[in-house]
Amino acid sequence: MIEPLLDYVAGILIVIGAIFALVASVGLLRLPDLYTRMHAASKAGTLGSCVMLIALAVQSQDLAISTRALAGVIFFLLTVPISSHLLAKAAHASGYRMWDKSVRDDIEGFVQKTKKITRN
Amino acid sequence: MISGEDFLSYCVTAALALLSLSFLLTVLRVLRGPTLPDRILALDMLVAIAIGFIAVLGIKTGYAFHVDIAIALGLVGFLATVAFARFVLSRKAKDFDSPKGVKSRAKRGK
Amino acid sequence: MTIYLGVILLALAWAAVTGSFTFPNLVFGLVLGSLTLYLVREQRGPFRSAFRPGKVLSLALLFVKELILSAWRVARLVVSPRMDLRPGIFAYPLKVDRDFEITLLANLITLTPGTLSVDVSDDKRLLYVHAIDCSDPEAAIKDIETGFERKILEAFR
Repeated sequence: MIEPLLDYVAGILIVIGAIFALVASVGLLRLPDLYTRMHAASKAGTLGSCVMLIALAVQSQDLAISTRALAGVIFFLLTVPISSHLLAKAAHASGYRMWDKSVRDDIEGFVQKTKKITRN
Repeated sequence: MISGEDFLSYCVTAALALLSLSFLLTVLRVLRGPTLPDRILALDMLVAIAIGFIAVLGIKTGYAFHVDIAIALGLVGFLATVAFARFVLSRKAKDFDSPKGVKSRAKRGK
Repeated sequence: MTIYLGVILLALAWAAVTGSFTFPNLVFGLVLGSLTLYLVREQRGPFRSAFRPGKVLSLALLFVKELILSAWRVARLVVSPRMDLRPGIFAYPLKVDRDFEITLLANLITLTPGTLSVDVSDDKRLLYVHAIDCSDPEAAIKDIETGFERKILEAFR
């Protein structure tokens, strides 16, 4: 009998996913500036939702639902880095500063002097 | 030894509780800001948590429609974040927008 | 050749999202995929690249491993009582030069431990990466060089 086993796997997966979502939101609160918060949201948050969608795919025992959930996972993995990259780029370009204890910024050329690169 | 169904329903309850807590913490970040991109990031995170909620509810109720809702929500959230990022790009950071202890670009003297 | 690959991928995505792999549905997906690619025909740049399924699979496996590792690292960092942060942005000299490969590398970097791609310089030579621990950028650059970038070069050249 495989059904009870699938239930166990799905149960463990959704709890893991929920813990990652919780960690991401704690990171969102505790980390000092936008760019470090983005690390928490884009990694732990993504993995949390993906793991829960995978749990749904495992538990449903219906090919139609499983493929849809997995398509959702792939879609999510493709879009999250794009949106967070775009937000980071926009925030940096329009002058939102990093945390004042940041050690280095090669775009602005501080700490280590690099050739000044013009950005639009 | 508890049965698979019981175990799953305990897990669903625990996951819903954890997700509610993280939803509240993220809303706190939306309220606290302090800058516009911070709020956008927190809203993006809210969408991710909502997708998790939908997946857990899909397991709980067994309705197939929930997956479609999750995919549609992911698409809308992605487009919203992209649109917000364009908005941030078109609007320069203001001094009152800067978080505490963070110098504005003009003051760095570079 | 690559345009057919695109249509087939879109058809498979359609079949996965609608949840039925029947023949009529796949044909409908092919029609929809061709229509979609026809709509974006003017935005599409030239896309020419080799494709090695085995290497792509190994890249995907490496990516999943790194994603789990990175979420775990972020989790440990966030729950530790004293967060020891030395964030910063370093410039990564790109070896890959096609738009498609740069996009892929930037996406992979965003989802891996401690790094987040922020910007690409106008001449596409430098990728600006935000690292949560930027005390040793040379080591981070070396990691990316011998990890993802090498795999991408192997898979698509």
